[in-house]
Formats: sequence, structure tokens, C-alpha cells
Amino acid sequence: MPVEFLLKRFQEAGTAPAMIWKDRVFHYHELLERIRYWQNRLEEEVAPGTVTVLEGDFSPESVALMLALISRQCVIVPLTAAVESKKKEFAEISEAQVSFVLDARDHAKIQQLAGRGSHHLYQELRSRRHAGLVLFSSGTTGKSKAILHDMEHLLEKYKRRRHDFTTLAFLLFDHIAGVDTLFYCLSNKSCLVTLTDRSPDSVCRAVEKYRVEVLPVSATFLNLLLYSEAYRNYDLSSLKYIAYGSEVMLQSTLERCARLFPGVTILQKYGTTEVGTLRSKSKSSDSLWVKLGGEGFETRVVDGILQIKAHSAMMGYLNAPSPFTEDGWFITGDTVEQKGEYYRIHGRACDMINVGGEKVFPAEVEDFIQTLDNVADVVVYGEKNSIMGNIVCADISLVRQEEPKQALLRIKRACFNNLQPWKVPVKVRIVDGISLNERFKKMRKKICDSSPDSMMQGNLDG
Amino acid sequence: MADREKILNILFSAIDDFNEIRPGEAPISKSKDTILFGSGGVLDSMGLVTFIVTSEQKIAEETGISITLADERAMSLRNSPFRTVGTLADYIHMLMAEQE
Repeated sequence: MPVEFLLKRFQEAGTAPAMIWKDRVFHYHELLERIRYWQNRLEEEVAPGTVTVLEGDFSPESVALMLALISRQCVIVPLTAAVESKKKEFAEISEAQVSFVLDARDHAKIQQLAGRGSHHLYQELRSRRHAGLVLFSSGTTGKSKAILHDMEHLLEKYKRRRHDFTTLAFLLFDHIAGVDTLFYCLSNKSCLVTLTDRSPDSVCRAVEKYRVEVLPVSATFLNLLLYSEAYRNYDLSSLKYIAYGSEVMLQSTLERCARLFPGVTILQKYGTTEVGTLRSKSKSSDSLWVKLGGEGFETRVVDGILQIKAHSAMMGYLNAPSPFTEDGWFITGDTVEQKGEYYRIHGRACDMINVGGEKVFPAEVEDFIQTLDNVADVVVYGEKNSIMGNIVCADISLVRQEEPKQALLRIKRACFNNLQPWKVPVKVRIVDGISLNERFKKMRKKICDSSPDSMMQGNLDG
Repeated sequence: MADREKILNILFSAIDDFNEIRPGEAPISKSKDTILFGSGGVLDSMGLVTFIVTSEQKIAEETGISITLADERAMSLRNSPFRTVGTLADYIHMLMAEQE
């Protein structure tokens, strides 16, 4: 049984805290009891191989149910409130047959759904007698892709024991990085501290209160943390690691974090929903150069784009053609630079702005603008232009009130003086706030459709 | 509708903004005869794009009318509308007349 190794570890952990949920501590022996309870119930109520929506967030019951569903060889489709408007669509795409909805008190409601779960990839999974996991890509354009993983392959790497750290469950339950945080914690008998909201203040409060050691977040969250100055009001001395990923980190933000948290190791993580987690190692806390790979992963760069071959790669998309090359490599769509063993990730090839043949990565322009006085946040994107093909545009939010015209002139002048001409934003808007998606990633206007969904990992598998 | 004089004034105001964001560069002088682009022009390609966008934004601010100055049509004209401040004012005048 694929979760047997985990259950054994829970037994060893016994009275150690497994989760903090709504300020209550749940111990490993309690989690184990709930898993047994659900295993018994599922045996009566849900057939092996059933495609099952699991709607909730990180909670003792959702975790117990997830593990029981894995041992029942079910296909799990985790959904959270973050995808509220898409729940129906996701249930349909995944052909879900049953749903378990967890309410605010962590009580589960079982419901039969209309799906038939007959997709040929599900059939293959059933013939292997393996559990599955369906995750949806969070692309901001086009239809979300449903990504099917063989749970047995995904869990393989957690069998090796690693470090035990109290970790914050900042990343979401229905995202591969969140799933990865969960299994990394559980397999090392660590305590997972859950959040009811993901504001900088709540995050800092949880770190202080539960002496959190690992903080896995998005790069944008770190910007928010810096500008909210929430870190000033809490004791964050328990922090050992900040792991970031999911989007390109600005050098300026990284350097500021490294200065603000001198005792904390800051790590870049990398992976994609399609291939799972890569092991990674940042050159240093303030370096954007990172080693990628690890057991079961191979990397290569073709035409400046990172490709990955992974043992834990998905079985396929439920609703899109295979994205793998003929020889089994996954094209990430991320543009990278390579120096020896290290990569520097510049961003989605799709986000790259081609200005009259010159390539502009939004991050490099954002990086500069972010250092200017009174700039709270910035998002840079391309817009079609009949002369240059595309032009660079920037939406900027301010820290304090400033006459917009003056702010625009000041920022444009600074860009003109410091950036190469084609990188200077031609259109600059002062906006109230930068739109973030449900995963705390910046919403960037796209010139082209986004391809695979690269993301971050929350653990320290590096 | 904005008359040609008003359009020239809007362009002069765009020139002020443009000069202000490009310190250290030769300023565009506020005259209808100033050559913008092409032989003897004061702008390079990025300068032209920036000046066009600045002008479009200024026109929208002052008149509430949104026009696109650089498009296939502008490209296909025998005489470039971006040759001088004066030819640009004429082109804007024509586009605005069409919108009415």
C-alpha cells in the first residue's frame, strides 16, 4: 500500500504534533485514528478507482481523507475556495464521481456526482491499481489543464527520510507545491501549521506563535511582506528557511530579504505541476542562481528553454494533448541561462517581450522599478505595437499618496536614465494595487497563451 | 471638434512631457516645423514610439477622444504623418474629423 510507509512513521511519531489547525494541535496518533476511520468508511462507501473531489483546505480531516483515499486507490481531485468559480468546471473536466466537502468545522459531507471517471488515463491507472491525483494548471489565459499524476510515483521520493522542520502551509492544498509541502512534512514527522488567511500579518503571527522554521511562499508574497512591514511587529527568530518560487524573484527583493533576515537561508525552489518537484540548491541566500535536478530528474536547455525529464512526471493531461517531446522531455516554457551546474530562471518565454527584436524579461524591468522611491509593487507586461512589434508597459502601485503626474514623470525619467532604451516602459499607469491571483502570483497581461504552469516547491528537498 | 491650433497645443504639451522624461537628450522644440522622424529627425525608433504614445495619452486627456496614431493605415500613407510636428497635427486632425 503506497501510504504504508507514512502510517508507520505516524505511529513512530505518536504524540508529536502533526498539524496546527485553527489554533488547535492535532497529534500524529489522532491523525492516524482519523485515517483508520476513513479507511473503514471508504471500504463501505467508495469503490477503488473512484474519481473523488476533495474540497477543503489543509485540515486534519482533509489530510486524513486524502491518505485514506490514496490507500483505497482512488483518484483525488483536491479543490479549494481559491477556485470557487471553477469548481463545477473542474469537477466536469475530471469526470468526478464523488465529492467530499469539508465545512468550516472540518466535517465531511459526501455527495454523488454525475461524472463517470472513464477517461482512458484513469483506466490505465486502475489497471496499475494505483491512486491518482488531478491538479489544475493555474494559467491566467485559456482553459485550465487537468494534470493527472500516478500517486505512487509522486510519493516515491518521500520514502527517504529528510529534515524535520515546523512548516507553514502557505501554499495551497490544490497546488502541487502545497501537496509537496504536505507530504514532505508528514514523511518527516513534522508539524504543519495551517493558516485561515494568507495576509503578511497572519503569516507573521503564525510564525511567531508556533515557532515556524520553514516559510514556503511566492516571490510576490515576499514583496507584500516587505511593504507591509508586518515583520517588524513579530518575533520571527524561529525561521530557518524561506523557500520561494512560483514566479521570477526580483534581485532587489531577494537582497532586501537577505539583509532583513540574516540568519535565514533563502532558497529558490522550482518545479512544474506536470513533472513535480525538483531538488534545488541556491548558490547563496541573495543569489538567483540555482542548481536543479536530484534523483529521478534530468534537465537540459534547448533554444534557451528549460526541459525536464522526470520519473514522477504526470501521466498526461485529461483535456489537452501530450506536451512531452518524443523522447519524453517536458518543455517547461521557462527561459533560463546556464552557468556550469547553475541555472538562472528568467521567466516564462511567453512573458518575454520582444521589442523590435530585443528581448525584455518583465522581471528585469520590475527589478529596477521596484527600487525606486515610493513604489510598492510593479507588474511589467507587453502590449502589441505596430512599430516595434511590442512595447513595454508597467502598472505601478505606490506606498503613499503622490500626485500621479509627478509620480509618472519621476518614474519614467528614472527608467530612461537607467534602462536600455527598449526596456523603458512606454506606457506607465499608477494603479491602486497589483492584481494577484489566488495563488499570490502577479496577474500579467499576456501577449501569447501561457503554456505549462511552472511553480514552486515548499519543502527543503534540496 | 478640436481645431488644428488646439491639436498643435496638445502636441506641444506632449513635447513638454516627453522632454521632461528624457533628461540629457536633445529636446524636441515646440514648432510645427520640427522634424520628428526620418532624415534630420530628432527621434530614434524608441523615441518615436514613446512620443506617439505620449501624444495619444495627451489627446485622450484633453479631448476625451481615443485615437491610435501608429497603425497599418499610418504606415501605408505615402507621406509619413510622423515626419514633422505639423504633419502629425494634420493627421490627428483628420483622424478626429473621421471619428465625428
